[in-house]
Amino acid sequence: MIAENNSGGRAKGTGATIIRYRGVVKRYGAFTALDGVFLNVHAGEVVCLIGPSGSGKSTLLRCTNGLESIEGGDIEFEGTMLPRDERALRAVRQRMGMVFQSFELFPHLTAQQNVSEGPRTVLQMNQADANQRAAALLDKVGLADKAPNYPSALSGGQQQRVAIARALAMNPDVMLFDEPTSALDPETIGEVLSVMKKLADEGMTMVVVTHEMSFARRVGDWVAVFDAGRIVEQGPPRQIFDAPTTERTRDFLSHLGWSG
Amino acid sequence: MTLDWGVVWQNRDALIKGTATTILLTFATMAIALPCGAVVAVLRLYAWKPIRGLATAYVEFFRNLPLILVVYWAFYVLPILTGLGVSPLLTGLAALALNVTAYNAETFRAGINSIRRGQVEAAMALGMSRVQALRRVVIPQALRRILPVLASTWVSLFKDTSLVSVIAVTELAYVSMQVRAQTFRVLEMLTAMAIIYWLLGYPQAKLVDWIQRRYAVTE
Repeated sequence: MIAENNSGGRAKGTGATIIRYRGVVKRYGAFTALDGVFLNVHAGEVVCLIGPSGSGKSTLLRCTNGLESIEGGDIEFEGTMLPRDERALRAVRQRMGMVFQSFELFPHLTAQQNVSEGPRTVLQMNQADANQRAAALLDKVGLADKAPNYPSALSGGQQQRVAIARALAMNPDVMLFDEPTSALDPETIGEVLSVMKKLADEGMTMVVVTHEMSFARRVGDWVAVFDAGRIVEQGPPRQIFDAPTTERTRDFLSHLGWSG
Repeated sequence: MTLDWGVVWQNRDALIKGTATTILLTFATMAIALPCGAVVAVLRLYAWKPIRGLATAYVEFFRNLPLILVVYWAFYVLPILTGLGVSPLLTGLAALALNVTAYNAETFRAGINSIRRGQVEAAMALGMSRVQALRRVVIPQALRRILPVLASTWVSLFKDTSLVSVIAVTELAYVSMQVRAQTFRVLEMLTAMAIIYWLLGYPQAKLVDWIQRRYAVTE
């Protein structure tokens, strides 16, 4: 079991702990998806979760905002245990933005309406304010001119940027990214990663499940390597990519053709 | 054999009234069967298990009985069960509504099920409740998908209203048959009836085609 080893070499490790995973266990029937995960996420940090498919990275993310429930251990968000009660959970979800691999934009709404939907329905914001917020966020992700378009008229990269704006519209404290570029054409991956980089530079706390090793290395403050439902190694990107201490990390990185 | 088309003209008032009743029955049936179908579908999907079972039993019962049998059943059994004398029109309406509600419930259920799980998760990740996700995200999309199916059901219903003629509801088919029985002008009346049904039905079918093109789902 990996202990709560967290501050060594951690540039932003001095900020308040926003999310604390303690021995998180998640099972699907006989299959153990998460087998005791320990990890801390501090304010302003970008924590990247890497590792082979099926190793539990996405599951951990989905447990973070309660889309999946956990069987053991606990998850603390901003100093409070993640509630089980649906109503309390909804309040927590409002403070966590989530971006999905398959975008999951609402196809019956325009880009603008997709972004204003959360503020309108959940925050009961009036139409004018919600529209203003949506316009500002679409501008932020470089899609001001696409406001009236439906998702079907946008490229994958544009859809994912709208999805990021939609999540930001709730003014979240943390952004959760679940393989945000895995479903994209290679030429549109860059535009999504640069929006994410911009967010990171602004100090947004981010947990990113990714197969983009160069992003994890360049933007990540902390990297956790998953294998078979456990974190086999975690540390600053320098350590993980240049001097991995475990065989599993070296294996994984060499399979990706990573060479420092 | 001599044909006397004058009989159609002589009975125009009755035919017009009958046609009006046919149209009224179609609208009234759908006005009941759309909201009721939606409720049954939601019960089948989300309700407490025994209720879910009841909703399923209802759908499977009425979906698999010939409509004409339901019409006869409503005519003979409803008065015995309720002790009320119900007019043929209301009885016919009840039978049609029971049948079409079952079909609409299946249509709604299929529509809701066709919206992938990720959409609900995206809504819930924003902090929406399940009900909000259903209302704001799932149902608007499901409605678009099932609109063509509902439109087809509508056209079928329009023609199937003729089945309530067996319990003397004075709609188009019954009126035509009455005139036929009184005048023995079989060919004329059947032809007139066919022409009226077709003239009313064809534009509806075209409208369905248009709706199917207009609301084709693009994702």
